[in-house]
Amino acid sequence: MSDRQTVGDILAQRGVSRRAILKYAAWLASAMALPPSASKAIAQSLAAARRQSVVWLSFQECTGCTESLTRSFSPSLEEMIFNLISLDYHETLMAVSGHAAEEARLKAMEENKGKYVVVVDGSVPLKDDGVYSANAGKTNLQTLQETAKDALAIISVGTCAAYGGIPGARPNPTGAVSVGEIIKDKPVINIPGCPPIAEAIAGTVAYLVTFGKVPDLDHLGRPKAFFGDTIHDRCYRRPFYDKGLFAKSFDDEGARNGWCLYEVGCKGPVTYNACATLKWNGGVSFPIQSGHGCIGCSEPHFWDKGSFYQPLSTAMPGMGAGIAAGAAAGVALGAGAAWLARRRQVAYSQQTSKKEGA
Amino acid sequence: MDLLDFARGPALYFALAVFALGTLWRLLGILLLPWGLIRSPAREGSPSPFSSALKGIVVKLWPHKEFMAGGFFTFINGYIFHLGLAIVVFLFVPHILFIKNLFGISWPGLPSNVIYAVGVITAVSLIAAIANRMTSPVLRLISRVDDYISWVMTFLPVLTGLLAVSHLGARYETLIALHILSVAAFFVWFPFGKLMHAFLFVFSRAMTGVRFGHRGAQL
Amino acid sequence: METDGQATAPGSALALILVREIGQALAAFAESGEPAAIDLRGLPMSDADREELLAWLGDGEIAATLAVAGRSEIRETRFTGVWWVRHFGTDDRIAAERIEIASVPDILIADMADVTAAAARFDDELAELSIPPSMEEAEHV
Repeated sequence: MSDRQTVGDILAQRGVSRRAILKYAAWLASAMALPPSASKAIAQSLAAARRQSVVWLSFQECTGCTESLTRSFSPSLEEMIFNLISLDYHETLMAVSGHAAEEARLKAMEENKGKYVVVVDGSVPLKDDGVYSANAGKTNLQTLQETAKDALAIISVGTCAAYGGIPGARPNPTGAVSVGEIIKDKPVINIPGCPPIAEAIAGTVAYLVTFGKVPDLDHLGRPKAFFGDTIHDRCYRRPFYDKGLFAKSFDDEGARNGWCLYEVGCKGPVTYNACATLKWNGGVSFPIQSGHGCIGCSEPHFWDKGSFYQPLSTAMPGMGAGIAAGAAAGVALGAGAAWLARRRQVAYSQQTSKKEGA
Repeated sequence: MDLLDFARGPALYFALAVFALGTLWRLLGILLLPWGLIRSPAREGSPSPFSSALKGIVVKLWPHKEFMAGGFFTFINGYIFHLGLAIVVFLFVPHILFIKNLFGISWPGLPSNVIYAVGVITAVSLIAAIANRMTSPVLRLISRVDDYISWVMTFLPVLTGLLAVSHLGARYETLIALHILSVAAFFVWFPFGKLMHAFLFVFSRAMTGVRFGHRGAQL
Repeated sequence: METDGQATAPGSALALILVREIGQALAAFAESGEPAAIDLRGLPMSDADREELLAWLGDGEIAATLAVAGRSEIRETRFTGVWWVRHFGTDDRIAAERIEIASVPDILIADMADVTAAAARFDDELAELSIPPSMEEAEHV
């Protein structure tokens, strides 16, 4: 790869003008909620930047995150992200395999020491020395520690890498943990979602390339630009919630009228993501628009929070037995107390009648 | 497990178990006592105990004329927050869903903004109630710790509920978790303090009615 | 260009706020030459809000269509120096939409790096036409 060249040079060789970079910068500024006047400076700094070396590690995952990034993009504008980065290692996308692939990773790490970005999708198994997921003779834990050591930052793409996700769901047979639970000495940016929105991945990477720093993150390590609002607050069905108009099932009148899906289990009120604004598949739709409640896939442990179809305001499952036990104990105590009181009463009246008799 | 999971799970689970235990304990402990303990003969021409009981419950819904002047505010304000609480608790759709999930029964709710308005009125009314309690010399004299704890346990769910709906002070999931935790505290305190009057007022008023009727006294 | 002043005032609160903001930015630009931009995509705008704002700002003297990584549309409004800029992806989805207050939106200006590259390419293509290529020309490349 032509590592000495700037992004602007490389784009010029491909017949892409600085106008395209400016347009991309306008998109980025808008997506990342940066001041719109910053887009010119962003464009200049992007054009002058070297291509960002990216090493993409895939651990316990389903490749859905890569699918999200590579497939849902419309060509042209958004594919610009692939001009900004030099994707030096990605098992699914790279042509080479075996030793050559591993060499590419080591070479990229060597040449861009302290400057490359590691993207991880998938969780890392720790149980039984991490034997449950390994490649090239190394466990995921070893690969992650080795690769992260000299990285600029780590981006955990997808809920598995960010919070353990589905491999980490109960009973978590492989002892899966998130990247952030292992890497403590580097900035870790979480872009959760199952999968995450492509624009959120691309926007965050582009921000990192442009500014060389980590964007504003929330307390769960997510970029505030994409995870600053709940789905509920940005949902076009919100007015129906406020009016108290709810679909009671997926095929009733309310569902056909597009009313709020709270009663059929929508987790939008506690889910922070940009689905309601950026939407999916090039802005076509998002789950709620397609008639299904939000399942909260960008939140930690979304898989273990009860049924997707259980309303948010209900108690978690498994309550019945304890309450029944409490009720039974209450009945026993109440009956016992009454029985004691009756006995005392009888004893008292016997005593008084004896006295009267005497 | 985050705060919301804890609130929706173990905290609520524990609170409801304590609520069931305590409430049944106290109710059965009272209701399983011998009925008809009044041994003296009833005054001639007095109504049946059953109608006296009903009269006791109904008549006490409204204060006597003599008490209207001094106790009017307490009386009206009491009605406001009791009705407000009933509306907010039983006609807010997420609450109905909670009840449906536990007992399988449900009914239609009111729009969220109506509930919000009622919630605000209820909160103001509760504040007025505690202010009245703390400033009135007589009320202060007869108030015990129980009265204040019961007020706090009632007020907190209303306050946290309003904050959660209006997203004030913290993130929504934190506020809703605090709301559920405050409700859990309410459930735990309920059977052991004066909040139990929600069940017991019927029996105590009925009993008063029976005793009065038995003696031929006017309610 | 303010001759068709019979345009009705925007009824939506959001459009009205934006109109005020544009006015302030335009006044500042007229005074200090400081350009400004307002991102419309980050705002919770409904189609009705957009239509009202668009209708009120009206059409000016310039309209341009760009073929840059998909289509882009730039229109000057009836207020000189206020531009409505819309960038589309190739599927004609709006990728960015903003009001720019400037002499010319930056994206219309030819960047010198592109100009230099174009000059080089021009030379190359000219060289292919010339028979035979001279040494001097080769040095330019």
